[in-house]
Amino acid sequence: MAPILEVDGAVKRFGGVAAVNGVSLALEPGRIYGLIGPNGSGKTTLFNCITGVDHLDEGRIRFKGVPIDRLKPHRIFHLGVGRTFQVIRVFPELTALENLLVVTTTGYAEARARARELLARVKLDRLADEFAGNLSYGQQKLVEFVRVLMTDPELILLDEPAAGVNRTLLNELLDAVRRLRDQGKTVLLVEHDMKVVMGLCETVFVLDHGEKLAEGAPGVIQADERVIEAYFGR
Amino acid sequence: MKRWVPVGLLLLAVALSLYPLEATGYGVRVMLQLFMWIALAQSWNLISGLTGYVSFGHVVFFGTGAYASSLLIVKAGLPWPLACLGGGVAGALLALVIGWPCLRLRGPYFAIAMLGLNEVMRVIVSYYEGLTGGGNGLSLPTLDASLAIYYAMGLVAAGVTAVTYAILTSRFGLRLMTIREDEVAAEAMGIDTLRYKLYALMLSAIGPGIVGGLSARDQGYIEPISVFPLIMTITMIVMALFGGKGTIWGPVLGATVLFFFQEAVWARFVYLHQLLFGAIIVAVVLLMPRGILGVLQQKYNLPRTI
Repeated sequence: MAPILEVDGAVKRFGGVAAVNGVSLALEPGRIYGLIGPNGSGKTTLFNCITGVDHLDEGRIRFKGVPIDRLKPHRIFHLGVGRTFQVIRVFPELTALENLLVVTTTGYAEARARARELLARVKLDRLADEFAGNLSYGQQKLVEFVRVLMTDPELILLDEPAAGVNRTLLNELLDAVRRLRDQGKTVLLVEHDMKVVMGLCETVFVLDHGEKLAEGAPGVIQADERVIEAYFGR
Repeated sequence: MKRWVPVGLLLLAVALSLYPLEATGYGVRVMLQLFMWIALAQSWNLISGLTGYVSFGHVVFFGTGAYASSLLIVKAGLPWPLACLGGGVAGALLALVIGWPCLRLRGPYFAIAMLGLNEVMRVIVSYYEGLTGGGNGLSLPTLDASLAIYYAMGLVAAGVTAVTYAILTSRFGLRLMTIREDEVAAEAMGIDTLRYKLYALMLSAIGPGIVGGLSARDQGYIEPISVFPLIMTITMIVMALFGGKGTIWGPVLGATVLFFFQEAVWARFVYLHQLLFGAIIVAVVLLMPRGILGVLQQKYNLPRTI
């Protein structure tokens, strides 16, 4: 099947540091991918380049065959690439419902119905009219997660979805991710919790010092000498 | 509670339209100026209260409107109401031209760029003597239209407030607020932030543009230093902050309270009033950065449409 996302020789430098240094990867539709690597290995920078927050110095990124590496974030979003952030970025002085409402391009009534449905899906319908800033950390994380789903994106990038979320909430979140996959969506997630990565992802990419160190099924990755070395040292 | 708000507003409107029948000329002029300040503070609220982009040179739209309208009256012979609307258009055009590059700047840099713009416009107006009369100023033909200008100012103040209400209760308004809340997230959620900021700045420039024209017509004479004063920007900011930025009635309340306060103090203590005004700024920033309505809003969990 034709890849939904292709990253081809991506390079992103900050001053003299190449945060992403020649990374290539391809995602096939309808699968869950993991992106792992030690701190500072370039995971979030790669996310930022895919979503247009940062722009590549070299290389290409294509979404469904269309180059997106020069586009602004809002354009990329409307092509069908949604993301969440490592640090929560809800709009604190908007209500949970409004956080979702601002996202769509559909009519108001339709958007409202969809927002209510999505909030109900993560059991937040009761808190729809509460300011997002007043919700707990986990609840804000859920608001951010369903906010991405408002426009039904085909590719969803999740930056550390499991961090700071309790077990029950986490299981719900992981189920939601699997359901998305079953609907044919593609998911790429950055995660430090190896249990989550190994249990959820079908293919894992390992980054180290901005370069792709390995790629493969979770079991294979776990046994890879180079990966172990990158994480724990020699 | 909800039902008597429109009724109360209607009664207020009737009372204010009948007011000139009973009032002295001085009274009418005071109210006319109050309307002007409400329109200015509310306009500043539209860009800065909603998107969080602090415009530190908002008076530039007032001055540009004043000069544009005066030129339309003096050079083109337009009737003054039309010329004043032209002032609004001039304000919006300037906002478009300057917003396109400057709204890419974030935080304090935008504030400083706007401050600089105001200085630049004042110099430009002073420099092109042939057209604007330069430092000698520009005199408008004599005309007594205080009463008509009173009503026009009132309409602009009400109009800008109505627009604020319409925006605050729409998704357009919510999207403007996402820029204030977290611009990176807003962009990532598909909001074309530059375009939204540009719309907001243009909308916020129309009111000051018209009001500038009306004020010029009312005064009958304008000069660069009288229509581009920094103190006017500061005053409208303080009024909006004092009442509560990002709300509908905050700027109206702030403008009303501070304007009457200034009038009362100014008449008695010509020099002291600036000192008191400065003290108010410090007190507001330190004690209630969210303003009167902002504090009430948080305490009693009131909607932002207050």
